[in-house]
Amino acid sequence: MVAEAVKENFVELVLSALQSGLASLASYLAAHVLLCLVPAFFIAGALSALVPQQSIIRFLGPDAPKWVSYPAAAGAGSLLAVCSCTIQPLFAGIYKKGAGLGPAITFLFFAPAANILALSYTGVALGAEFAIARIVLALSFGIGIGMIMAMLFRRSEAVRQAEGATFSAGDGISRRTLLFLAALVALLIAGTLKVDFLKAELVSGQLPWPGAVAVQAVLERWVPVNEALGAEGLSLQGAVLIVLLGLIGAAAWRGLGQVDNGFNRQTWLALALTAATLVFAALGVRVTESGLFLALTGRSLAVAALCLLLVPLARRFDAWDVQQWLWETWRFVKMIFPLLIVGVFLVGVVRAFIEPEWIQAVAGANTLLANLAGVVFGVFMYFPTLVEVPIAKMFLSLGMHPGPLIAYLMADPELSLQSILITAAIIGKLKAWTYVGLVALFSTLAGLAYGAWVDGTPLLMLAAAVFGFVGLLVAGLNLIERTRQARA
Amino acid sequence: MLIKILGSGCAKCNRLEQLTREAVGELGIDANFEHVKDMEAIMAYPVMTTPALVIDEVVKCSGRIPSKDEIAGWLRG
Repeated sequence: MVAEAVKENFVELVLSALQSGLASLASYLAAHVLLCLVPAFFIAGALSALVPQQSIIRFLGPDAPKWVSYPAAAGAGSLLAVCSCTIQPLFAGIYKKGAGLGPAITFLFFAPAANILALSYTGVALGAEFAIARIVLALSFGIGIGMIMAMLFRRSEAVRQAEGATFSAGDGISRRTLLFLAALVALLIAGTLKVDFLKAELVSGQLPWPGAVAVQAVLERWVPVNEALGAEGLSLQGAVLIVLLGLIGAAAWRGLGQVDNGFNRQTWLALALTAATLVFAALGVRVTESGLFLALTGRSLAVAALCLLLVPLARRFDAWDVQQWLWETWRFVKMIFPLLIVGVFLVGVVRAFIEPEWIQAVAGANTLLANLAGVVFGVFMYFPTLVEVPIAKMFLSLGMHPGPLIAYLMADPELSLQSILITAAIIGKLKAWTYVGLVALFSTLAGLAYGAWVDGTPLLMLAAAVFGFVGLLVAGLNLIERTRQARA
Repeated sequence: MLIKILGSGCAKCNRLEQLTREAVGELGIDANFEHVKDMEAIMAYPVMTTPALVIDEVVKCSGRIPSKDEIAGWLRG
């Protein structure tokens, strides 16, 4: 009898975990991922295919002054490096031939946190303030860590082979590319920004469909709303969006995946479906007793107009450039999306087993220990690109304080096993581990500062405290270096 | 003719190699291929970005995938 009961409990547990995973997947696909990630993938593809890398690299030569090379390194991080096959040669190149260790480190630090995919995803899933905090903190601390590294190892720096020629040539970014990118970014923003004129309902009407209520009831049975578990349920609109996403995937498999052999019929199908999905997602759809309530919002108009605008802008490029753009976009989707889906599902499964009390006990307040816990979790757990975001969302809903959450978000993508190994191979073990130590230190600091700001500490006082601490650190390191030199 | 593809083995590098092989095949040129994956060896060339195409030790392009026509032009020249 007892064994029977245990078995029954176990089956129930597994079922509820699976259900939690599916619910998390459904609500992500229907609500969060879609509107921001679809344009973001197209932007990433455009950056990778249409922006000549030389346009930024030319600012990273050995003779570039510091005030140019550090911001340029950060720019290279956010614009060029959306995948690891760009990060590694660029990092090695900046370090060995160009601006040196400092900017190379800035580039390495900034790239995973501030590329377009990570930023837009963070903004939509966690809130704009987290995205802004992520970019501001990553920028200032990335430059800070780069400068500290350059200073610490300035004597071994001199042996680098400077090679100016690699950096000299190169064009800027052409105007048609800038315009095209601007339209894509506008599309991303129009689809996600929460302002009133986009949310305003312009035209609305009722679509009589008595079955709507029944369909919604079925969806709610499949994916129940559970406030305590953070499951948001699945709306009728969300279900249609998931179907549309599947259709885009099917059409894009050949349509975008083989577009470099020339446009085919499925290419146009995939693009038209993508535009239709974005416009449909911007509609207001509600289930009422007598049928469906449909509303045309400012958002749907803006999204449709921008999609149309993209057509003439894209026509100004050579066919090969457009093919490259679509091919790169699909490559990013194929590389990142499957891992993201598995990640979101597993986060949902794990979510069912974690008691909020545990998280609140460890990281419920903005203490030094809580921030350290966030950093340690970030360093030892390795998640593929972007999966850190649903994990952070889970922690947030479980009651983690925003401070430790930022500490985790800073440490997780910066310090993966992969990035540590790359750095160690190129700049040597000593420098690599110093870098790891500095990132851990600065991530903790970032978490503490952001947490204090959320708790109401004035910004000016915080800035003074952070600058004071960094100044103290730099002065201390300088002192150590000088005594070592004096002894030698 | 010695053709080198510089790159860490990412999707873009493999695509460049495939395109170049097709171009070589269509032109009927006799060529040896080498896919250079070692970072030190890649950095010995004046490139900062991969994939890069090197024909007879001259870097033809880096950081992007050229079209097959463009590659064919280099092969003929």
